[in-house]
Amino acid sequence: MHWHRLAFLMAVLAMLGWGAWLLRTEGPSGVPFLQGCQVRRWTGLSCPGCGMTRATSAALNGQILEALRLNPLGMILLPLALAGLIPEMAAWVSKKPFLWRLRPGLKLTRAIVVSILVFTVLRNLPWWPL
Amino acid sequence: MNWYYTQSGGAQQGPVSQDELAAKLEAGELRPGDLVWREGMAEWTPITSVPEFRLSAAGPAGAPPIPQTPVFSNPYIAPQASGIYTGEIVPNYLWQSIVVTLICCLPFGIPAIVYASKVDGLMARGDIMGARQASKSAKMWCWISFGVFMALIGVYMLLMILGAAVGAASQGNSGF
Repeated sequence: MHWHRLAFLMAVLAMLGWGAWLLRTEGPSGVPFLQGCQVRRWTGLSCPGCGMTRATSAALNGQILEALRLNPLGMILLPLALAGLIPEMAAWVSKKPFLWRLRPGLKLTRAIVVSILVFTVLRNLPWWPL
Repeated sequence: MNWYYTQSGGAQQGPVSQDELAAKLEAGELRPGDLVWREGMAEWTPITSVPEFRLSAAGPAGAPPIPQTPVFSNPYIAPQASGIYTGEIVPNYLWQSIVVTLICCLPFGIPAIVYASKVDGLMARGDIMGARQASKSAKMWCWISFGVFMALIGVYMLLMILGAAVGAASQGNSGF
């Protein structure tokens, strides 16, 4: 067991939890330390994560369709990636491999990565509906 | 050497010594497919695939020995069977890079994802050096993304606290 790793993980989780609570109760503008997307701020372009603050806030209030409209790919990938992180983080803290891990195969990994890149390009096209 | 083990898919147990674990195997407490791990091993491994326990697994009740495929059956291909035990697992950081890209909203997440996607493919082709390199790059971009995000939050909160302090001070001055 690595105690400083555990403390670090707990601090990050506490911050994520606090952020999620604020997003649920106060809405997208209620999180003081989130300043929106820096990519969009400086370049005007949308990154793959743009809209995730509003989408997460909507999802935490049960508005799944609205969340999917704001960032369709992110809303699918974020829960998946967070689930995949659980065994990785457990292994990182305990310095022992976890008994199961979420490892997508070669093809699925490639599909996920290509979909992120294509999504990034698509959402910056002028006729993207969002 | 401390060993950890599981019994028929249950929770992990241990640490126990190698002798204790061998005794459990001989007593039938552990079955051949049960997973074991000790420090230095990349993954949990069926006990019968671990060289230290092969003899004791074949031992009790006159059971026939488990057939072992020779490691170097074909001299022109890399030994696959030994890879399960000694082979290192190169982490691909795929989930980490997706999470930092979506949450931190910084351009550094994209190279992390691209490098992460290369790791497993390079491993499958046997290019361990390349896989390690891609893994290292993916890890680096994940930390950069995370670090810059945290730094931005830190700067913002510092400015907020300073602003509040200045505001309170000026209000105090004007009040009196």
